[in-house]
Order: sequence, then C-alpha cells, then structure tokens
Amino acid sequence: MGEVSSTAPTGSFEGRSYLELTGESTSPARLARSVWASRGLLAILARKEFQVRYRRASFGLLWAVGLPLVQALVMALVFSKVAHIHGAPHYVVFVLSGLVGWTFFSTAISSGSTAVVDNSELSSRIYFPRALLALVSVASNLYGFVVTLVIVIVLCPILNVGLGASIWLVIPASLLMVGLATTFSLVASALQVYFRDIRYIVSAAVIVWFYVTPIIYPSSAVPGKLRLAVQLNPVTEVVALFHAATVGGSITGLPLVSSLVWLAVLAVLAVYLQCRYDRVFADLL
Amino acid sequence: MLKPGTAIAMSKVGKRYTKYDDTPMLLTSALHFRPRTRRGRLWALRGVDLEVYEGESFGVIGRNGSGKSTALGLMAGITAPTEGSVAVRGRVAPLIQVGVGFHKELTGRENIYVNGTILGLSRREIDRKLDDIIAFAEIDDFLDTPVKFYSSGMYVRLGFAVAIHVEPDILLIDEVLAVGDYAFQMKCHERMGLVRQSGTTVVVVSHNLGVIRKMCERVLLLDKGSPKFLGAPADAIAKFHETMEQSEEPDVDMTTGKPLERGVLAIQSLEVIGPDGQGTGHLEAGSDARITVVARVLKPMDDLVVGIAIFSQNGTCVYTDSSLGKPLGPVLAGELFRCTVALKATLPTGSYTVVSSIWRPDMKARLAESRHVTFFVNGRSTVGGVSDLGGSFSLDPCSEPSGPADPEAL
Repeated sequence: MGEVSSTAPTGSFEGRSYLELTGESTSPARLARSVWASRGLLAILARKEFQVRYRRASFGLLWAVGLPLVQALVMALVFSKVAHIHGAPHYVVFVLSGLVGWTFFSTAISSGSTAVVDNSELSSRIYFPRALLALVSVASNLYGFVVTLVIVIVLCPILNVGLGASIWLVIPASLLMVGLATTFSLVASALQVYFRDIRYIVSAAVIVWFYVTPIIYPSSAVPGKLRLAVQLNPVTEVVALFHAATVGGSITGLPLVSSLVWLAVLAVLAVYLQCRYDRVFADLL
Repeated sequence: MLKPGTAIAMSKVGKRYTKYDDTPMLLTSALHFRPRTRRGRLWALRGVDLEVYEGESFGVIGRNGSGKSTALGLMAGITAPTEGSVAVRGRVAPLIQVGVGFHKELTGRENIYVNGTILGLSRREIDRKLDDIIAFAEIDDFLDTPVKFYSSGMYVRLGFAVAIHVEPDILLIDEVLAVGDYAFQMKCHERMGLVRQSGTTVVVVSHNLGVIRKMCERVLLLDKGSPKFLGAPADAIAKFHETMEQSEEPDVDMTTGKPLERGVLAIQSLEVIGPDGQGTGHLEAGSDARITVVARVLKPMDDLVVGIAIFSQNGTCVYTDSSLGKPLGPVLAGELFRCTVALKATLPTGSYTVVSSIWRPDMKARLAESRHVTFFVNGRSTVGGVSDLGGSFSLDPCSEPSGPADPEAL
C-alpha cells in the first residue's frame, strides 16, 4: 500500500480519482471524505425523494405541511377540550411547536432506519458511501420541517402568542433535533441490514416515544417517579426548547446535557457501524 | 502500488461470502447469546492477480457463478475484498444495469439528472451534455413525461444514453449491451467503439462470446472463482469451451423443475457428429449433423423419452425437441443404448451448447441429464438473429402490379 494509499481519498465522485480497497472496513477519515465528495449526490437524491413522495397528489407539497398541522390542531383540540390537560398556557401553540420538532424526528428516523435496505437496488450496483442513504432520508424530511416551522412561527401572533427574543431558540432546537435524527438513522440503518426486525422495533418505539416525551403535556405534569425516565429521553429537552421558543418556559441545564450525551454516543456508534460495514452492506442486501 | 499505465490492479484478491441459513433476527440472537451459525462460507473469487492497462478493453468470461460479477463489483468498489487489495485509478462508471436510480414518477429530464449524478457527473456537466443525451436516447417528445409512461425500449435507451455520456476513465459493463432493439444495439456498439478509441479503459463481463471477441484485447477466464486463463480473446474462448466440456454439473436448468430420479440411467456421452461421421465441435451452416447420446441403463424400463435442447451463447434457447410420442422400446438393466438425433445446423454464426435429458415416458420425472457440449457454427455471413431460415434473395424488374392496389402501399 505505502505511498499511494496514504494520499488516496476514495470514491468515484467529482473527479476524486483514486480508490484502494484492502479490507472490509473503511477509516472514519476516508468515510468523511467520501461523504463530502458525494454531497452533490446527497442533494439530488434528497430532492428526488421529497418530490416523489408528493408528486402524484393533487395538493402536492401542501401535504408535507398540512399533515403535521392537522395532527397538531386535532391534538390541541382533543387534549385541551376533551381530556382537559392544563398547566400550559397557550395550549394550541404549545402543542404545535412541540409537534413540529417531534414529527420531523419521528418521520426521519422511521424512513432513515430502513434507508440502506430500501435502497438495495442502488447500493448493489454502484458505490457511494452507504451513510449517504440515511442522510438522504433525513434531509428529504427537512423541507417539510422548515416550512412547518415557519408556518407555526407565523401562526403565533395570530394565536395571541407574542414572540420574544426566545424565538431564536428554535435554531439550537432544530440543530439538535436534526443531529439526533441523523445519528439515530445512521445507527438504525446499519443495524437494519443485519437485523430486519429493526424496522418494526422503530415503528413501535416511535409510538411509545411520543407519549413519554412531554410534547402534548408539560414536563411539570410528569409524576416524580417517572421524571427520571422522561429526563433520560434524548428528545425531551429538545422539545422543551421548541416550547420555550414560542410559549416560553424554563430550560434546565442538566437534561440538555443528557441530549448532548445521547448525541455523542449515537454519533460514535454511527461512525463505528458505518465505517465497519460500509463496504460489505452490498453483500447482505 | 499502481504502476504507471495501469488502470486497475488486483493483487491476491479473494472475496468470501457467508450464506446464512436463516434471516438473522435481533431477538433470537440477543436471547441466545451465541454467534449466528455461519454455514456455507463460499469463496466467490480467490487468488486473482491482474492488471488492466489504461485504455485497454478487457473482458471477463466464465460460467454462471464463476465470480465474474463479483470481480466487477470489486473493481467498482461496491464491495470490499476479503483478502488482497484492489486499486483503481480514475473515475469509474459501473454500468451494471441501465437506469440505476430511475424513478418512475420522475420525468425523463429529472431522471437524467438523478442517474447522471449517481454515475458521477456534476450538475454542470449534465447541463452541458443534456442535449447530446436527449438526442442519443431519441426521446425529445417525452422529455418531460414521467418515465412510467415510457415503453421499455425508451427507458433502456435513456438509461444507456446517460451512462454512455458519463465519459469516465474506466467503464465497467455487465451484460448491458444487450439492450433495446437491433438498431439501438448497433448504435450502442458504434458508440462503444468511440469510447474505446478515446482512451477509456473498458472492462466487459459477458456471456456473449461474440461481443467479447469483437471488443476485447485481453480476456480473463474465471472458473469457480479462480482465474483459469488470461490472454488473447480467441485463446480464452477456446479454454472456456474446454472448461464447459469438463464440467459435470449441468449449468442451465432446462427443465420445468421436475425431480431428478437418480440411479435409473446414466448418460455416458453426448457428441456432435459432423457430415463426415466424425465427432466435431465445428459445423458449417446448413450442414447435416447428428447428436448422439449414449446412456447406460441401471434399472430396466419399458420405455423412455430422450430430449435435447440447444442454447445460443447468450443463453437463449434456440431449439428443444424430444422423442415424445415415438416409443423407443424397453431397455434392460446393464445395457448401453444410443439415441441419435439427425438435424440440420440451420443457425447463424456463434457458439452453441447442447444438452440432453432422459425422461420417464409420462414426463413426470427426469432420469438423467447430460453435460453441456459446446459447438461452433460457421454461419452464412449475411445471417443474423437466432435461426437461419435459408432465405435467398433475388431482384427482378417487374411491371405495375396487375391485381387490386394494396391499400398499405398508399
């Protein structure tokens, strides 16, 4: 290997011109370089996935925004008028802002966790870093996420919620949510290749996860015994950030640390799995 | 590692696949705390040392399961070698299937961008080549129609048009040249000629020995994952025929999946006999030939049916026939018998394989299948297609048609 392989990047994209394979795993630096080199592919595949999803529907892209809004409005109505959940002022906006982040997270991880397996047609015929597939899944959900987020922010004054400087909290909140969804998808999509049950485990987990995350109820409503479980939940504080950005609320430092620790752990796991199996996924599809 | 002038170097390359007996499941493997049973380890490729030079057209041939596609997958970087190393210089475009990443809901134009990016083109490069691609694919009117409304021919033409415009340093082709109608195939071959002239390194994997002979400068023959020969196309093809004849396992399953009943009959030989009565591997077009099958009877039987099938080099079945309906009579245990099939070699130029199988008279069970025997037909130079119907052409002056006018002609 010697002199050449040390200078060698990888991949066949954008004029990168040398590839050397000696083992069944890829180094993190090489994987990072080849993901970067394939960013053009990431963009076009994400756009394709987004376009294809709504192409045949009469209202087209409106559905990307309409569905989460309908869901949020129904929830707000049911839980405030029927189930009488109290303790959160401006309940409709509270639910809307929490749901925006959650809906993005849950749809991104649901499609992201099966990304490698679902695209076997592509990955068995050409090489590109397989991590790209999970990234594409997450990225294709970003469009809807950003548009719904903007709509919710616009709705706030209409629903009598004054926006302060705290609205800027949506930026760290969104970044954290995207980070968690990305790393989670990278891990789950790698595992899905080996364990086809992952798809169903993720589907089931998302249902439970929704209720153990303070999205439609404030975290103050959680009884003491369960509070620890809710605080260990990586998305709890991210959703709380979305709440804080619109209807306000306190953010405690410690649980946010738990989100960051989760992010770090998932990232390490994601890099390990994607590096280890990048070049052999195609054998198992 | 890569010497100057070398595009691809494989050194001591091996690829091992592990076949699992069952789909691994999270719960079962987690609960039992044991590694999954790893049965059926298989070296799909082993001990491959080769260099493909820059600008060369290199062919890989072998029977099904000989490791051809694995070799191509390794060159494309789709999968990593289990041992040894693969080094590739330059931009690689694998053409393992046309239209990779095409989505039926997207229009032709959108799919050009998706597919082109997948094959390694930048957006700007595609902008520049778009008109050429559209012209080559002949889809101008359907450019903004979703490809699900395309005919299969249009779909394939579009896929091929994108691939051929990638202008990679190395083009890896797996069988895809056999696409589209005849006119389009000619256009593809013509274009491939240009690609090769422009200095692109081309690696072709194909069952079609005619294409390999025509296109390649050097050919690698693989057999059961090991390199058997590397050299001139004609020599490699000759060696390929030898390995086909030595093999005892039937390569193509010509049957309808009916069971093979062992221990009743054993086929000893299958031979192609030329007009001079001698066994041969070479027939002139239209000559009288015979195929003889010799079998030993292990258990006595009242009657049997002998069938033969002839395949062209790309796997198309060109002829099947059997003695069904013509009783051959009882055979005794221990006896040898010969079945002779007299026929005319009305075939175009190419390599063919013939295989024979013997059946119970009710066709419910297959008793034996012969090995595949390859022969070459030197066809008439003007003939193409799968069969030589012996057409003779003549041109005569004639007067105005006397009968009622043909409405089609107007």
